[in-house]
Amino acid sequence: MATPEMHPELGREVPVGSIDKELHKLWAEDEARTNASLMNLAVYSEAPGALEKNSAAVRELTAEHACRAILIGIDRDAPETSIRAWITAHCHLSHGKKSICCEQIAFALTGKATGRLRNTVFAHLASDLPLIFWWQGELSPIFEDRLYSLVDRFVFDSSGWVDPCSSFARITEAIANATRPLVVQDLAWTRTFQFRVSVASLFDDPIMLSALSEIGAVEIIYHPAHRGSALQLLAWLAVQASWSDTVELPLAVPNHNDSKACFSFESTSGKTILATLVANPDSAPLGCLTLSGGEVSASVSREAGSSHVIRRIEAPGHFVEAPGPADPDTCADLIGEQLARGGKNSLFRKILPRFRSLLERQ
Amino acid sequence: MTNPFREDLVSRSRPEPCTVVIFGATGDLTHRKLVPAIYNLAIDGELPPGVKILGFARREKSDAEFRKGLEELNRKVSRSGHDDTIWASFEESIHYHQSEFTDLAGYQRLAARLDEIDRERGGKGNRLFYIASAPEFFDDILTHLKAAGLNQAAEGCWARVIVEKPFGTDLATAQQLNEVVNRTFQEKDTYRIDHYLGKETAQNLMVLRFANAIFEPLWNSRYIDQIQITCAENLGMEGGRGGYYDKSGALRDMVQNHLLQLLSLVAMEPPTDLSADGVRDEKVKVIRSLRQWDSPEKVAANVIRAQYHAGHVDGKPVPGYREEDRVDPESMTESYVALRLMIDTWRWSGVPFYIRMGKQLPKKATEISVHFKAPPGVLFNALAGGVPGGNVLVIRIQPDEGISLRMVSKIPGTSLRLEPVKMDFHYSTSFGKSSPEAYERLLLDAMAGDATLFARRDEVEEAWRFIDHIERAWHQSENPPPMAGYVAGTWGPKEADELLQADGHVWRRL
Ligand SMILES: NC(=O)c1ccc[n+]([C@@H]2O[C@H](COP(=O)([O-])OP(=O)(O)OC[C@H]3O[C@@H](n4cnc5c(N)ncnc54)[C@H](OP(=O)(O)O)[C@@H]3O)[C@@H](O)[C@H]2O)c1
Repeated sequence: MATPEMHPELGREVPVGSIDKELHKLWAEDEARTNASLMNLAVYSEAPGALEKNSAAVRELTAEHACRAILIGIDRDAPETSIRAWITAHCHLSHGKKSICCEQIAFALTGKATGRLRNTVFAHLASDLPLIFWWQGELSPIFEDRLYSLVDRFVFDSSGWVDPCSSFARITEAIANATRPLVVQDLAWTRTFQFRVSVASLFDDPIMLSALSEIGAVEIIYHPAHRGSALQLLAWLAVQASWSDTVELPLAVPNHNDSKACFSFESTSGKTILATLVANPDSAPLGCLTLSGGEVSASVSREAGSSHVIRRIEAPGHFVEAPGPADPDTCADLIGEQLARGGKNSLFRKILPRFRSLLERQ
Repeated sequence: MTNPFREDLVSRSRPEPCTVVIFGATGDLTHRKLVPAIYNLAIDGELPPGVKILGFARREKSDAEFRKGLEELNRKVSRSGHDDTIWASFEESIHYHQSEFTDLAGYQRLAARLDEIDRERGGKGNRLFYIASAPEFFDDILTHLKAAGLNQAAEGCWARVIVEKPFGTDLATAQQLNEVVNRTFQEKDTYRIDHYLGKETAQNLMVLRFANAIFEPLWNSRYIDQIQITCAENLGMEGGRGGYYDKSGALRDMVQNHLLQLLSLVAMEPPTDLSADGVRDEKVKVIRSLRQWDSPEKVAANVIRAQYHAGHVDGKPVPGYREEDRVDPESMTESYVALRLMIDTWRWSGVPFYIRMGKQLPKKATEISVHFKAPPGVLFNALAGGVPGGNVLVIRIQPDEGISLRMVSKIPGTSLRLEPVKMDFHYSTSFGKSSPEAYERLLLDAMAGDATLFARRDEVEEAWRFIDHIERAWHQSENPPPMAGYVAGTWGPKEADELLQADGHVWRRL
């Protein structure tokens, strides 16, 4: 009998019709390993070579999140129609003892076969477990209701999107149309998490909380690749602090090598708040958020590459400085954080309309 | 006004900025547990900005020396590692105060020092006093805190106290200590630590029982045959522990607090809500419903005490209990105890709860096992050999936290033979993230004013009331129940096996 084709990263190539049988064999071969799974994690990409890269990312992820991983690589423009599949297991030593493993099935679909994505892929979900779908890249025609209606959590990263305005319109439509509650998770939003936690903790301080109505200026310094995160952070501040948009249009002021954008808001008491977004190529994805007004100033800042942020409050006779954790930078790590937190992500849905209006004001 | 930015961020009570004053700050507990716990909370971003630590102990030390010692240990024991830059910023908020526990002037200086730190570093004046001293100083520390006015918080602030174990050595001393505590702090500001309650699986017990619809209907004497709680340790009196242990014993050291707390969580009725008093009201009812043994004969019939003899643990020879360092060669202190408890409530009528705790047993393990009744003796049960063991639900507290369920299944083949199989859930397998240390959770709760995971006055006193009957029978009666023996490295004395045999039960094999 011919030995099955082995791929160094994706594992053993198997006929699509016998994936389950082959997975079974995989476990029968080694009794010392435990198969664990708390969810189905599908990773979808239309980029060439993505299967290998994603397999490596999933290996990292499975150390903390036991799942059945389903990798999907799509080439819609290929002339020939084909479906190929590989199976493997990612194993990790748990507490230096037991070997805990997660199954992975990788699919490569080309040409017309891409239309069979739903039937092929979703026939291999582990039953009863939720489906997390990580979509990489721009939304394509494959993103349609028959796909997202099967998904429990739809994860994407809007930071690389060329036309975020129209893509977010599609996401909003999907949320409204999905036949089951669809939780959407933008990694650009996940990137703001620890900043938001830090801002919230600053306002646990009664001095800051009472100074909230005094805040007249907001500045956010961000890396140019993460404008979406900066805008989402601003939208969140405005929504939570009940600042309404003012009528005048923002002025995009080019400023030597940095680019700057200004927005203005009005608080419930009629105070004007001027927000400035500053892109800086040396910054961390989110580098610094400063809120100031009256006699107080508070900030959350992070050096590029640092694993923590610094929270600071300065007010007359009152100075507080404390470290806090920072969000990870890679998509796989962000997904890991997100999976650990769970939740319905209702806050994102709450700020989404405001964020979209800020996007359109650019 | 509430903080609008908190929406949807965390689902727990919010800790407030405060100064944590630790009494006994040069000690082992502070270095190994408390400060690493606060450091880990800081790097996880759980700690509100503005938390400060002030250590109080006898020897002369500068802030810098104190910080250095803490840093050395944190490097070794911190759950999520040690980061120099974070530590550099963290240690800025650590200070040291030298004083005798018995010197009032030292507490007056402490009060001035706390105000000064608040002035310099900004702070509202919340104080969390952590009494991590030997128990003989608890009274002194509390009395002096009051004399120096430190028990009174400034306007709009709070002053709370955390008291370490052991909380008394019997009912009388616990009541007396409670009097002193409550003269100094209100009950709502008193947090009696039981670190077992800070463990993830202990908290998960309530979730398992009340968030899953399939268990609660079976959780009573109709379906449950017996419940066992085991706490096994594979250590003896290493590191000079004998001095303390020989005055205490397994019953007082572990059963009065940790194991009775676990028992309460397993046996309590559903609380009306998840508030601290909602939960503790139900827990204390369990302890109050324990059948009390008022004569040495009844104690002898339900409780086995024992000491280990020389033997082998983990392949290494170990001495007998009475030969251990700092143990009285004539000691009558038990290193092992097994109890058969009855809870006289509607739910548990007739269901025995067996508890065992021992030193120098074959391995380290704490678990609760719920043994269900056998199905009616028809169909498969009528087969030769019957059904091999009933259903058992095991909740493993440590190590390898998790839950398993034993069921009966048919062995593949043409004949009908049944064997038990196990459905097993391991925290570490399913959730790669490590659980926070018990002290992290408990410190955070105390900062947030949430006392759910701390023992209330009546719980502690009721537990002592129950334990005292046994201690009295052992140490003050004319005809005390005998002290049994077991070889170190075995699962305890044969008398403990006989205790269960009388009911037709056996200890679960771990
Ligand atoms: N260690 C643990 O893991 C652990 C676990 C659970 C519960 N506990 C409980 O925690 C408490 C403390 O345990 P530990 O192991 O940390 O004790 P320890 O290492 O013996 O430390 C005792 C501390 O008390 C101070 N001290 C003693 N006499 C004093 C006096 N007259 N005035 C001022 N300070 C004095 C010592 O200061 P100097 O060094 O300056 O003399 C030292 O800081 C005990 O109640 C114990 O039961 C400990």
